[in-house]
Amino acid sequence: MKRDPKHRGRADKWVQITHEEAFDLIEKEYKRITAKYGRKSCVVFSGTGREGGGMNPYATNVLRTPNMCYTQSGYACYLPRLASAAYIVGVVYPELDYAGGLPGRYDDPAYEVPECLILWGKAPLESNPDGFFGHAVIDLMRRGTRIISVDPRVNWLSTRADHHLRLRPGTDTALGMALLNIIIKEGIYDKQFVESWTYGFDKLAERVKDMPPEKAAGICGVKMEDIYAVARMYATAKPAAIQWGLAVDQKANGMQTAQCIISLMSITGNIDVPGGQILADINGNVNEVGYNMDQGIGDDFNLMIGLQEYPACCQVTFQSHADLTLKTLETGKPYPLKFGFYAGNNLLSCTSMEPQRWAKAINESLEFCMTIECFMTPTAEATCDLIFPLATICERDGTVFTHYGGSPVTIGFTNKAVEKQGESLSDLEFVYLLGKRLHPDLWTDCKSVNDFIDKLRLGGRYKFKDVHKLVSVQHEVKYRKFETGDLRRDHEPGFNTPTGRIELYSTIFEQLGDDPLPYYVEPKYSPVSTPELLDKYPFVLTTGARVIGFFHSEHRQIPYLRELNPNPLVEIHPKNAAKLGIADGQWCEVYNQFGSAKYKAKVTCAVDEKTIHAQHGWWFPEDDGNAPNLYGTFRSNINNLIPNFHFGKLGFGAPVKCMLCNIKPITESYDTDMALVWKKFGKGE
Amino acid sequence: MPKYGLLIDYEYCTGCASCEVSCKEEHNYPVGQWGIRVHDDGPWEMEEGVFHWNRIPAPTDLCDLCADRTGKGREPICVHHCMANVIRFGKVEDLALHLQEKSKQVLFVPQYKPHVAKGPFVPGKKGGHKGTVSQVKAKENVGYEIATHRDRSSKTQFDNEGGNS
Repeated sequence: MKRDPKHRGRADKWVQITHEEAFDLIEKEYKRITAKYGRKSCVVFSGTGREGGGMNPYATNVLRTPNMCYTQSGYACYLPRLASAAYIVGVVYPELDYAGGLPGRYDDPAYEVPECLILWGKAPLESNPDGFFGHAVIDLMRRGTRIISVDPRVNWLSTRADHHLRLRPGTDTALGMALLNIIIKEGIYDKQFVESWTYGFDKLAERVKDMPPEKAAGICGVKMEDIYAVARMYATAKPAAIQWGLAVDQKANGMQTAQCIISLMSITGNIDVPGGQILADINGNVNEVGYNMDQGIGDDFNLMIGLQEYPACCQVTFQSHADLTLKTLETGKPYPLKFGFYAGNNLLSCTSMEPQRWAKAINESLEFCMTIECFMTPTAEATCDLIFPLATICERDGTVFTHYGGSPVTIGFTNKAVEKQGESLSDLEFVYLLGKRLHPDLWTDCKSVNDFIDKLRLGGRYKFKDVHKLVSVQHEVKYRKFETGDLRRDHEPGFNTPTGRIELYSTIFEQLGDDPLPYYVEPKYSPVSTPELLDKYPFVLTTGARVIGFFHSEHRQIPYLRELNPNPLVEIHPKNAAKLGIADGQWCEVYNQFGSAKYKAKVTCAVDEKTIHAQHGWWFPEDDGNAPNLYGTFRSNINNLIPNFHFGKLGFGAPVKCMLCNIKPITESYDTDMALVWKKFGKGE
Repeated sequence: MPKYGLLIDYEYCTGCASCEVSCKEEHNYPVGQWGIRVHDDGPWEMEEGVFHWNRIPAPTDLCDLCADRTGKGREPICVHHCMANVIRFGKVEDLALHLQEKSKQVLFVPQYKPHVAKGPFVPGKKGGHKGTVSQVKAKENVGYEIATHRDRSSKTQFDNEGGNS
C-alpha cells in the first residue's frame, strides 16, 4: 500500500498498489533522493532482527548506506555484552553450555551438568534470548543444577534458587566487583587457568580491593553474608555457568558489569569447558552482519553516523549510533537523512526512548519512508509512505540461529506450512528482489533467492534445499579451543585478543579511551546520586521484564496471546499501594520529569518497597490508528519516561532499568475489551 | 472402562502458557474459554526472604483429554506442547503409581462438560409414593392470620425471643 507523505498518520489514506508499482515507486524515490543527497542519506532502522538475523543486507546490499541503525539509545540490548566479549575474550558471546550442540545432548559423554548456574538480570524462560532454549534451565535443574538469582524482582526461577540477590537496579557492577574481590581474596579461583590464559590478573585483583563486600552490600542493598555465600558457591562449583541478561546492557555502567561477569567466568576456569560458558569456533561462524559489506558500501563505511565519536560501538555493530542518528535527523548534521526503511522495527512502541521525539524527527527529516511488515504498526502508520506485506512464518521457509550464527549450538530451519496468502514476500525475498532492482551489478553472483540464502545464512557450508527437512543441524562442539588454536585466525593457542589471552585488564578498552579495569558508577538518577529528587520521584523504576506471550511489541493482536496479559501492567508493592490508595487492577499514572504513562496496577511483592516495575512494548491494535492516537502507542509507553543520551564512555547503555519515578491512581479506566480484540482479530465463525 | 487423567509435576511448571494456548487452538475455544488453566499461587513471602510461587495447570470442564488425538494414539495437545515436560497422560491406575515417585505432584481426572455427562433428567422408575384419597372440610374464613399460621397470642413470646434476654 502507498500513501502520500502529506497524509502520514492517516489510517484511511492508504491506497493498494501492485508489486510492480511499489518497486517502481521505491526505485524512483531512491534515485531521486540519492542523486541529490547521496546514498548515505538513507537510513535503515533495525529492530531485534527477524529469522534470528539482523537483516543487514537491507542497508549494505540494497540501499547501500552505512547507516543501519538499531534505534535503542546506546544500543542497550545485547550489543554491550557482545562488544565486551569481543574486546575482552575475542568471541561473540560466552553462552551457557546446555549440550545443545552435542549429539547425545545432556547424556552425551562429553557433557557435564553445571553444578551451579547464576541467572544475572535474565529471564530465560520468558525470553528464550537470542536463540537460547529457555526451558533448558529446567532440564538442567532436573539434572541437579542449583540456581543463584541476581535480580531486583522475585521471579519464578528465583523462588527455586539457593540464593537470590535482590540488588537495587543499576548497581550490578558493584556486586560483580565484590564477588571478584571475595573469590580472589580467598584464593578460590583457578590459578592454573589464570596463570596460563588471562592477562592483567594482578591489576584486576588490585582494582577490586576498591569494592569490599561490605561496601557493595550498602550500594546494592543486599546482605553482605549473601554476597559471600554466592561468591563461594559459584567459585567452588565445577562446572559453573552464568547466564547474563539484558539488565547488563541497560545502564551507562553496563560495559563494566559485563567486564566483571566475564572476569568471573574466566578466573573460575569455566570458559569453554563442558557445562560452563561455550565459545564459538573461529572456523564455524556465519558472518551474516558483514555480508558483502565491502562491495556494498566500501569507503562509505567511514561516513557512518557516530563512527568517529563512538568507534567502540559502531565498529563492532557495523551500525550507526542511535542517539547521534536521532540528533542527525533533528539537525541535518553532518548530513541530512532523507530516505528511511524499517527492517523489523516498531520504534514508537518499543525500541526507542522519548518516542514522540523520534516520530517528530523522522517525519520532519525523511522525504520517503517505507517498511515491510506482517501487521500495520503504529510506527508505519505514523511515518511510512509505503508498506509491503511480509510473509508470516507459516508461509515461508527460513533459517534461524543461536546468537545470530555466533554460538556453536544449532542452525534451525522453518519449513513453510501453507502457500502464501496474498502478495507477501519474505525479508530475504524482498532483499534479493529489491537489491537486484536497485543495484543489479552488485547481485550478479546470486542467480536466485536460494543462492542468496545459502550464501548469507548458511555461509556456503550447506544448501538450504539439502538440509531444511532436517529441521535443525548441530555444529560440531569442541571444548577448550584456546588450547587447540580454534579461537584464533592464526590457529595459535590462546584467544583472539591483542595479548592472546582473556584480558582481565582490557587493552582494547584502554585504546578506545575507557578504563581498562571495571569501575562502579551510580545511575545518573538514583536515590544515591539525586537524593533531592526523591521527594518528587521516590521510587526506582525498572522496566521491560519479559511477559509470557509477547515478544517486545509483537503479538498484541493475537487474541489467545493478548488474553494472557490483556492490559499493560505496573507492579507495585502492597505497602506502597495501600499508602497511595491504589487497588489491585486500578489504573495509575507513572511519571517523572521526562514524561508519563498509564498502567494498570498489579499489587505484588514481586517488587520491593523501593521499586516499581512497568511493562514495555505496549500498543493497542484494536484502537484507532489515526494520529495522534496511533493505536494508543504513546498512552502506556514507559519509554516516555526515559531520556536519550545517557550512555557510558564507549557509547553503550541506556537507563532503561534504573530511573526514578512516582505513581498515582487515576479515575479513568483503559481496560482492554477482549470482545473487541476477538471481533477484530479472532478466528470468527 | 479405565479412567484416564493428567499427572502434573508442579515443581517445574513455569507458567509458560503453552498448554493453555495449544488447547485453545486444538479445540477452537474462543477468548474467555479454556480447556486447561494455569493457576498462579505466588509470589508470597513464606519466611523472610523466601517466596512461595507454584503454578498449577488444572484441566477445566472443557477438557476432553483430547479424545480426537488420544483416539489415534497421540498424546493430548497440552502434553505435547508442555515446555517443561510436566504433564503426563495415562490411565489413572498407572499414573497413581507415579505419584509415589516424588513430591509436588497432583493427579487430575477431568470430566468433560459434567452438565452434559450426567445426561438428561430421567424420573425414577419405582413410581414412589402415591396420593391418598380423603374428604376435606372447609373452615370458616377468618382472614390471613389463619392462612399464614399466625396467632396473636404468640406475638409477645416472639418479641421476647428476639430481645436481649
